[in-house]
Amino acid sequence: MTNVTRTRYGRVLVWIISIVVGFFFPQILGGTEVIYTTAALVAIFAIMSYGNDLILSDLGEVSLGQTVFWAAGAYTTALLVIKSDWAPFMSLAAALVVSTLIALALGLATIRTRDFIFSLVTYAAAIIASAIVTNTAYFGGSDGLVGMPLLSIPVVGGQYEASSNEALWPIAYVSLVLVIAFVARFRRSSLGITSLMTHMNSDLAETMGVDVRRTRILVFTLSAPVSALAGWLYAYQRSYVSPDLLSQFFLLLMLTAVILPGKRILLGPLFGTAVLVFQQQHASFGGDIDRLVLGGVLALVLLTSSDGLAGWWRAITKRRRTKSVTAFNSKDSNGTVAASLPTIKE
Amino acid sequence: MSLLAQIVNGIALGAGYALLAVGWSVLLGSARLVNFAHGQLYMLGAFITWWGTSALGLPYFVAIPLAVAGAAILGMMMQLLMTRLTLRQDLVSLMLVTLAFGYIFTGGASLIFGGDPQQIPSPGMEHRFIVFGAHLAYQDLVIIFCALGLYAATWWVLTKTNMGRIVRGVAEDPKLAQLYGISPAKVYIGVFVFAAASAALAGALIAPRSPILTSIGFEEVIITFLVVVIGGIGNILGGLIAGFGLGIFTALFGAYVSPAYSMAAAFAVLLVFLIVRPQGLKTS
Repeated sequence: MTNVTRTRYGRVLVWIISIVVGFFFPQILGGTEVIYTTAALVAIFAIMSYGNDLILSDLGEVSLGQTVFWAAGAYTTALLVIKSDWAPFMSLAAALVVSTLIALALGLATIRTRDFIFSLVTYAAAIIASAIVTNTAYFGGSDGLVGMPLLSIPVVGGQYEASSNEALWPIAYVSLVLVIAFVARFRRSSLGITSLMTHMNSDLAETMGVDVRRTRILVFTLSAPVSALAGWLYAYQRSYVSPDLLSQFFLLLMLTAVILPGKRILLGPLFGTAVLVFQQQHASFGGDIDRLVLGGVLALVLLTSSDGLAGWWRAITKRRRTKSVTAFNSKDSNGTVAASLPTIKE
Repeated sequence: MSLLAQIVNGIALGAGYALLAVGWSVLLGSARLVNFAHGQLYMLGAFITWWGTSALGLPYFVAIPLAVAGAAILGMMMQLLMTRLTLRQDLVSLMLVTLAFGYIFTGGASLIFGGDPQQIPSPGMEHRFIVFGAHLAYQDLVIIFCALGLYAATWWVLTKTNMGRIVRGVAEDPKLAQLYGISPAKVYIGVFVFAAASAALAGALIAPRSPILTSIGFEEVIITFLVVVIGGIGNILGGLIAGFGLGIFTALFGAYVSPAYSMAAAFAVLLVFLIVRPQGLKTS
C-alpha cells in the first residue's frame, strides 16, 4: 500500500468517525428535546447556508435573494402536501425543480449584471417575492400555510415518522452530510475550479477559455436546490410556512454563517450556523437585541477581518511568529540565544 | 378617477421616489459605493422626526433638521468604520456591512421607539386641494418642491463647483486624485453623509403620508435601486426622470391592475431594462 493510498484511507476513516460522532452529538450533549430541536435547526439552517456558500465563497458574488430558493422549497412542499396530499419525496423533487427553475430564470435575467447590481437585483427579488406571497391568497397571505403533516418516509418494514425533533434529526443529519459531500465534490469538480477562477480573476478565466457567464449561471442555479432542500425540511420541522421565510433574519443568518468562520471552509457554514443558532436558542436576549447581536457579529467580522475568524486566527499566529522572530533576532545579537541553539552534528 | 388624475397622483408619488434616491445616485455615481442601510436611514429619519414632535414637542418643520442631522451623524460614523473597506474598494464586504448596519438600525429603532405604528403630525397633511380630479395634500407640494430643489442643487454642486470636481475626480480615479492632494477618504465621508442625510430628509417628508413602523425601509431600498438603475448610475437628471416615471407607473398600475403588485410590476420593468438597456436612461 503506497503512502498516498494510506493517507487517503486514513482521511476517509477520519470522516467516517466524525460523521458517526456527529450523529450521536445531540445524545452526548444530553439528548433532551431542546438539544434535538437545536441540532435539527442547526442542520437545516446549515444546509440553507451551504447554498449561499457556493455563491459567496466559490463564485465571489453576493446573492441576497437566496431566501427566495429556501422559501420556494418550503412553499412548494407546503402547497403540494397540504393542498394535494403529495408524498414527502415527491414534494422534495418538486421543491428542487421549482427552485432550480426560479434560479435559472433569475440567473438568465441577471446574466449581464455583476457586483452590486447583481446583489441588488437578487435582493429586490427576495423583497418582491415576499410581497407576492403576502398578498396572494393561494400562498396563504400573511398567515402562510398551516397544517403540514408529520414527515413520514418509507423504510424497510414500514414507515418512519418524524413525530419529534429527535425523530427528525436522523433525516436532517443525513441531508446535511449529503450536502457537505456535495459541496466538497463540487469544489473538486471542473465547474468548481472554473467557478473559483471566475471569482479570482474573471478576465484571466475568460482568456483561458472559461465561459464566465455560463459558469456563473450554473453555480447560481446549482445553489438553489441546496437551499430548497433546507426549505423542504423546515416546512416539516415547523409544520407551517409563512412569508417570514423571506425575511432579513434568514438572509443575515446564512450570510453570517458563511462569513463568521471564514469563506470557503468546508465545515465553516456548519460551525457558523451552530454558533448563531445556539445563541438564538439558548442565549437569546429577545427579538430586538438578537437583531443587534446578529447584525453586530456580521459587521464586526467584516470590519475587522477580510476572512472571518480564520483571518483573525491567521493574524494572531502571524503576529506571534513575527514576535518570536523579532525576539530571536534581538537575543541573537546579544549572543544569549545562539549558545542555546542545538548544534548540527555532522 | 380619471387618467389625468392618476398621472397627477403619480407625479406626487414619483417626487417622493426621486427624493429618496438622490443620495444613492450620488453615492453610487460619484463614489462607487452602495448602502443597503439606506431604507433604514429613511426609517430613522421618519422616527426621529416623530420623536422630535411627540417627545420634545418641536414643530414638525423644526424636527426635520434634527432627523437630518441625526442621520448625517450616523452616516459619518458608518463611513468612518468602513474607511478601510472603502479605500480597498472591497465591494462585497461593503454591501454586507451596510446590510448588517441596516439590521442593527432596525433592532435599535425597535428598542428605542417601540414596535407600535406611529403617525407623524405634519401640518401639510391637514389641508388638501384638487388638481385635475386628484386629491393632493400640501405635503405633496412640499415633497415635489424639495425633490426638484435638491436635484437642482446636487446637479449644480456636482457640475459647477470645485467641490463637485473633486468628487468627480475621486470617482474617476481615487489614487490619481490623491496625487493632486485630494483625500478620497474625506470625499467618501462627505458623499456618505449627504446620502444618509437625504434619505432621512425623504423619510421626514414622505412618512407623514401613512403610519410608520420600525420595520419599514426594505421597499424603499428597492424603489431607490429602481430609480438609480433605470435613471442610469450617476445620472442625476436621469434619476429625477426615472423617479417621476416610476411614480406614474406605480399609480397607473395600482389604479388599473392591482396596488398590491405594483412594486412587483416595477421590478419586472427593471429586469427588462437590465436585459435590454443595462445603462438605463444614460446616453453613453
